[in-house]
This record gives sequence, C-alpha cells and structure tokens, in this order.
Amino acid sequence: MTPGYDSFALMAVVMARAFRDGEVVVMGAQPALPLAACRVARALHAPNLWYIVGGSGTVNPDPAVAPDSSCDARLAPAACALPLTDIVLLEGRGDTLDVFCAGGLQIDAYGNCNLICVGEWSRPTLRGPGTVGLPFLPAVRRSVIYTMAHTRRTFVKRVDFISGPGHPAAHGEERPYRQQGPSLVVTPMATMDFDPETRRMRLASVHPGVTATDVLKVTGFALGMPAAVPETPPPTDAELAALRRVRPRGAAGP
Amino acid sequence: MPARFLSPREAIAEFVSPGLTLGIGGMHMTAAPMSLVRELVRGGVRAGRLITSPSASMQADLLIGAGLVDEIISPYVGFEHLGLAPCFRRAAETGGRPRILECDEGSLSHALYAGAGGIPFMPCPPGIDLTDIPRVNPEMFRRTGDPFTGEERWAVCALRPDVALIACRETDPLGTVAFGRFPFTDRHLALAAKSLVVQVERMVTTAEMSARSPGETLPGFLVSAVVVAPGGCYPTASPGLYHADEDEIRAYLKAAKDPEGFAGYAAGLDATEDAYLERVAERPGVKDAR
Repeated sequence: MTPGYDSFALMAVVMARAFRDGEVVVMGAQPALPLAACRVARALHAPNLWYIVGGSGTVNPDPAVAPDSSCDARLAPAACALPLTDIVLLEGRGDTLDVFCAGGLQIDAYGNCNLICVGEWSRPTLRGPGTVGLPFLPAVRRSVIYTMAHTRRTFVKRVDFISGPGHPAAHGEERPYRQQGPSLVVTPMATMDFDPETRRMRLASVHPGVTATDVLKVTGFALGMPAAVPETPPPTDAELAALRRVRPRGAAGP
Repeated sequence: MPARFLSPREAIAEFVSPGLTLGIGGMHMTAAPMSLVRELVRGGVRAGRLITSPSASMQADLLIGAGLVDEIISPYVGFEHLGLAPCFRRAAETGGRPRILECDEGSLSHALYAGAGGIPFMPCPPGIDLTDIPRVNPEMFRRTGDPFTGEERWAVCALRPDVALIACRETDPLGTVAFGRFPFTDRHLALAAKSLVVQVERMVTTAEMSARSPGETLPGFLVSAVVVAPGGCYPTASPGLYHADEDEIRAYLKAAKDPEGFAGYAAGLDATEDAYLERVAERPGVKDAR
C-alpha cells in the first residue's frame, strides 16, 4: 500500500517539527524543503516562527506558488526583505538567528559540511558550487542538516574540505561562539542527531519501511546506534493538509 | 554631469579593457546583466579577475566557458535546483582557468564594504577560522592582531573592482538607477567599483522614480554609463518584470556539458545584442518588459 506521501513530504514534516515557536530560521540556495517546513510549522505548532529565505532576504514569504530559487521575485510580496548584506551582519553577531538549514556534497560524522570539492581542492574529482554562507553555521544557535542523497558518497568519515563547520572532534576544544552546532540530520531514509558526549552522529529514527541496517549500509562511517531505534512518526493528516497548501510548483503533491 | 547612455557594445568598448578586475552582479538566476556579459563574450574581452555576487550562475559560467576569466572570486557558481555549473566545474576538475580564490558570502560582503569605504581590510567574524577556506586562499585571508584585545583574527582584504556591471530595473534621464525587488550585494559591488556600468530595462522620468521612492537606488553621479536593454537579464530574471527562463537555462546546461557544445551555444548568441534581444522578445515575460 502506498503511504500517501513521498520523501519530500516526510522530510518537510520532520524538519517542521524541529522548529519551535518564536525561533528565527535561515535557509540558502534551493530552499524548497526548508521553506515548506517553515510554512508547515507556522501553520501548525509555531505560529510565531520567523524564516529568512536566502539571497532574497525575504522574511516570512508566503507565496501562492513557491518558486524553486532562493532569489526568485515570486518570494515577494513579503512585509520585509533584508538586504543580503544585513543578513551577513546578523549571522556574524551570533546572537540573533536560531536555526540554519544546511546541506553538503559531503557530510561527516561530526556534522561538518562540504559544498566545495570532493578530492584535493587544487584538483578535485568533483567541484561543487561553493560554500556561500556555511562558515556561519557555528554562529547560529543550531543547525539542521538535510540532503536528498543518503549515500556513502555523501555521508563520509571526514569531509575533504570543511566549508560548513560542525562539532569539534577534539573534546574540550573551545569554539568562538557557544552554540549547539548541528542538532538534526534529515534524509529520505532516517533522522540522525549527535551524541552529547562524543559529538558524533547517531541514528535517531528510521522512516517507515526502512531498517537500521538499511541506513548503516549507505552511511560511510560508524553511525551511532542506540539500543532501540524508533520509527519516524509519519505525517499526520493536519501536517499533510498544511503541506499541500505550500508545496512548490512542479513537485508531486502529497 | 548627466549620465551617458551607451549601447552594450559601446559600454564594454569604453569601460572594459582586457585584464581588468570586473565585478558582475545578479544573484542565482536573478538580475544578471546578461546583455553586458554577452557583449564581453562577443568581443572576447578577458577579465583578469572576476568578482561575483555571493551566488553567480550564467553570468560567470558563460565567461568561464569562453575562456575569458583568469581568476574568480565567488562563493558559489551554480544553478540551484537546475544543477552544477558545467564550465566552472570542468575548469576546476581539469586544472584549467580560472584560478579560484575560494571565499564565502560573509567575507565577500565585508571585503566589498571595505573596498567601498576606503577601509584597507576587514577583520572577519569568527567561523571562517573553523573552515579550510583561509588555508587555500592566502591572497585574500591573512592573520592580524586585534589592537584592542590582542587576539589573533583572520582578516579579509578590501576588494575594489575596476568596473562593476550590474542590472537594475530602471533609470531616469540623469542616470539615477532603481533596483528591482532585491539589491543582494550589488549595491556594495557598485559602491566599491572605480567605474560602474548599469544595465536597465527601461527609462522613466525623474518624477516617476521619485513617486516610488525611497526604493533601493544609486544616484546618477556614481553611474559611469547606463545601457538601456529591455529583456537584457534574459535568460535570468528581472525581478517584477520577467522570471528566469528555466527551459533556456536547461538548454544551456545541456549544451555546455562539453566544450564543443558550449562553443555551439556561444556561436548562437547572435552578432549583436540588439539581434539577440529581438529574438528573445517573444519569450514569456520578456515582451512585457519592452
């Protein structure tokens, strides 16, 4: 039996649940998933959520048809659009933004992200687009990492280039901002969080129809494994209804 | 002095000599000054260094594919949901031009602010020190002491383009220009540049522009030349006037997968920008801008 929702829907709902009322969320390029998640959260449990969409700087845009690009004018009208140069200041001061939604070509066990290159930087086997705002990850209260590709190529032991800093590997290492760092990782197969002691990624839940063994097979490092791994609660009717309203143009509806 | 109104070809011929540091605006697939960029391609005008917004797309990839960029400062060259940048990728993976000066959005924004304000360099907020970026770009990032606390910090150099090429929505007869919906970092890029060429969709009266003020604008006294090119951001978007033509961008991405395909695409850009814009005038949204 088909579940009545797809990976996008499940991931959007899982991310939405992670946003708390009153928080300020920032997202970057290709914002479809975090944008949908913020709008769902706002419609349900977090009516006072704030969200800033990438280079457009639009605050709480609620377009009838969501565009795929973070700089698309269809994100307007919004009551406020922050110039990008202002967003950079707010990121740097480190006490204003709560959640940074990030991703990477590579993501490692400590939540380091890499959007720059696979292989040696000087002669990469895969050149990524570049890091944009990810160096500010440690400046935001916590980060939520998401990727549509749960593979051993994405989840690697150690990223080839740190372009978005995760947790420090060395215990007791001082960080310039005293933030939580990466807190949640969402993929089409599972959700993961970080062991507070080792600061390494561990399995938090598997999506319906997926086993812990399936996840281990496609993760390129020793993923922490709790004694019992719960199933990710599937989207509720209310969540699916909220999502249906905000689904980006072109994506198959839930 | 009143602003000078030039054709794309005249503006490039007068303001862009080979080897200069060019700043080119537009972010992701929005507000790229494509008429000016295509003219660089037609003229084979080489940029010694290209500085982009925090996220460039076709304005950078087209110049890279044409072999016209020696060095690039850009925190992102790509096409979001449409894919990676084929020429940028190929260059990096084969060791070709351009040389990449790796940086991030924050450092670029601060470097342009410094360049605009006569500030010699800018100390960086923490964060960059936890990445590998400064390690691979000693040309832009250096260590310096904080004279107030004695702490060691990374600093980024000031950036000043010789010429900035940006796209705005409209101009008045004095060359005061108004942005479309979002200024991105294009205002800083313009303020930091030694000369500034602005591509616009249309001319309006000073009274019309005043009636909409205060929008995001730049005064005519900062503008070296204005190029009125309706539809000139195509195939990227001109905010509020037309959307990015994703079909055309996809066609570019497909063609540019290999150098031969890219050459074919570049050869199809028409001999003049007028001819190109005439041809795309029927595409969705572009007609409304004319």
